[in-house]
Amino acid sequence: MKKLLILSLLALSSCELPPRQSTTSTTLNSITDSATSETEEEYVMVTTAVSMPMYVHHDQAAFLRWGREKGVKTSILGPAEWDVPSQINIIEEVIGTRPTGLLINGTDPAIGPVINKAVAAGIPTVVYDSDIPSSKRHAFLGTDWYEIGQMQGKEMVRLLGGKGKIAYMGILGLTNMEAGFRGLLDVFKAYPGIEVVGKFDDKANVEEAARITSDLLSAHPDLAGLCGFDSNSGPGIGLAVKESGRAGKVKITTVDWEPEHLQLVREGVIHMLAGQKRELFTWYGAQFLYDMVHQTNKLSGNDRRAGIINVPNSINTGLLRITKENVNEFITK
Amino acid sequence: MRLLLQERTYSLTLTILLVGIGATITFPQTFPTFGNWSQLLLNLSIDTIVAVGMMLLLVSGVFDLSVGSVVAFSGGVAAYTMITLGMPMPLAIIAALASACLVGLANGYLIAYQGINPMIQTLATMGIVRGVALLVSGAGIQNLPYWFNAISQSRLLGIQMPVWYMLLIVATFAFLMNRTIFFRRYYYIGGNERAADLSGIRVRNMKLWGYVLTALLAGVAGILLASRLGTALPTAGRGLELRVITAVILGGASLSGGHGKIIGALLGTVFMGLISNVMVLARVSGYWQEIILGLILIAAVWSDKALQKRSSFA
Repeated sequence: MKKLLILSLLALSSCELPPRQSTTSTTLNSITDSATSETEEEYVMVTTAVSMPMYVHHDQAAFLRWGREKGVKTSILGPAEWDVPSQINIIEEVIGTRPTGLLINGTDPAIGPVINKAVAAGIPTVVYDSDIPSSKRHAFLGTDWYEIGQMQGKEMVRLLGGKGKIAYMGILGLTNMEAGFRGLLDVFKAYPGIEVVGKFDDKANVEEAARITSDLLSAHPDLAGLCGFDSNSGPGIGLAVKESGRAGKVKITTVDWEPEHLQLVREGVIHMLAGQKRELFTWYGAQFLYDMVHQTNKLSGNDRRAGIINVPNSINTGLLRITKENVNEFITK
Repeated sequence: MRLLLQERTYSLTLTILLVGIGATITFPQTFPTFGNWSQLLLNLSIDTIVAVGMMLLLVSGVFDLSVGSVVAFSGGVAAYTMITLGMPMPLAIIAALASACLVGLANGYLIAYQGINPMIQTLATMGIVRGVALLVSGAGIQNLPYWFNAISQSRLLGIQMPVWYMLLIVATFAFLMNRTIFFRRYYYIGGNERAADLSGIRVRNMKLWGYVLTALLAGVAGILLASRLGTALPTAGRGLELRVITAVILGGASLSGGHGKIIGALLGTVFMGLISNVMVLARVSGYWQEIILGLILIAAVWSDKALQKRSSFA
């Protein structure tokens, strides 16, 4: 018993509590001079749902192209499904391998502490797509999801003349998408003629989005508009509206501009796409990392010692508005 | 040799050692480090705690697909009661664990006493509980109190606490399953439910408690995950049920019941964590990770069948 007590006391004395959160700031915590020559450099992109076509065709393609042009090694890691804790686990394991730079998809504020860990380890860390403002990331490039919601809301008001029933869908529970939903609803507040019949979780699944849409069209024959917030919302909504024979009559706005989205715009099924400039935030995100490592632009005698980050803190890459009028410009084949 | 072939825990330990040696030779700078190993163990700790409960169920011939949703739900309830309702942390933890137990109670009652198929019942619960988790935590509840975060973010001997909780839970349940009559009954139920019933074991009652315990462990895992992330995520635990069932089967459980050891649940998750870690170190993309893990599962189950057949002839 006495031994057990002594052992417990010893264990307790070696227990460390986590540090209290310090105030948020973008700091330069001794970025290491790990890169001695370009061929040894490795830039790692960590996302979640790594096989999502939108990520593969835009983000990852741009990142790989950037790596080839720069002559540096690029790696893409992340869980196959939308799994933020797994993304965090992978970032933690990657930090241990000390890559030259980390490009992290800002999927959820929960990844903030691990971003701070990467920064504290001296790894240049850039967040793309959605910002994690609570973290100490060195830079952010991407879009404001609230703006995506507002853009869809304004277009829907215009299409409906400020009057009619609408519904919207996406992946519920994701911080960026919920911000988009807020942006949409805030626009509608000024238009009492717009009636929102519901918010639905299509689980980023085309079949689910189609099922929800067909149910909605049955329950509300006067449904005037639908807004989609994830990559698969548009194709799913479009499919169900086409099948109901109401293509063009039910107004649709959604996000992303994969070939199937563009085709639906050309057919007059989807009325507007709010597209992100994904290639820009991944390409320049990687370039920011490179510029930090190589101190491309010096702002002082010694930027590192002076604690200066020589890349912009935050870049909004903006949105694309794709409608029937300009859709042909985006269809490459 | 025969024991090695017959007993999955030995063959899996040997496989883990071989993979570990291979990884040490291939990545001498990164793999055999304290930092990498403590991170590897931390990453698999949540899955292992849930896997202990799943092993208990699989031993008795049933399973639970709602554990991933319970992980998100319990973290959400704890965060909601602390942040939105302003309740003290201990009460919030009790509320979260009690909510998880209620889910287990509902599953257990409907499966054991009403005869609903475990797959249908727990599949339905998976959806319902995920929905409630979304209602409770919305877009995620951030800024959890410091002392709640300290539950998982503290370290003992340089290793983050969930690893210690995992080891404690594995040791406790391994002891209970080996040494207590109550828990040994799960093997009898899984081996032959009718015979167990005739021999006086209250099968339905035992099954109900099995579901409650599994949900309780998933609830503990949910609290630890929310505490580790400092956020209650409604999307947490998605796909966890399949990962855990895979790990438990790798660890020697049989879908038909009657077989499996708690240590096998740990070894199964360690093996899967090890493979994932090696793939991250080797920069294998996420597409391949799923394919490789699927192939490993098929290979493990197939080799197990083949080895058992061979040893029974020997």
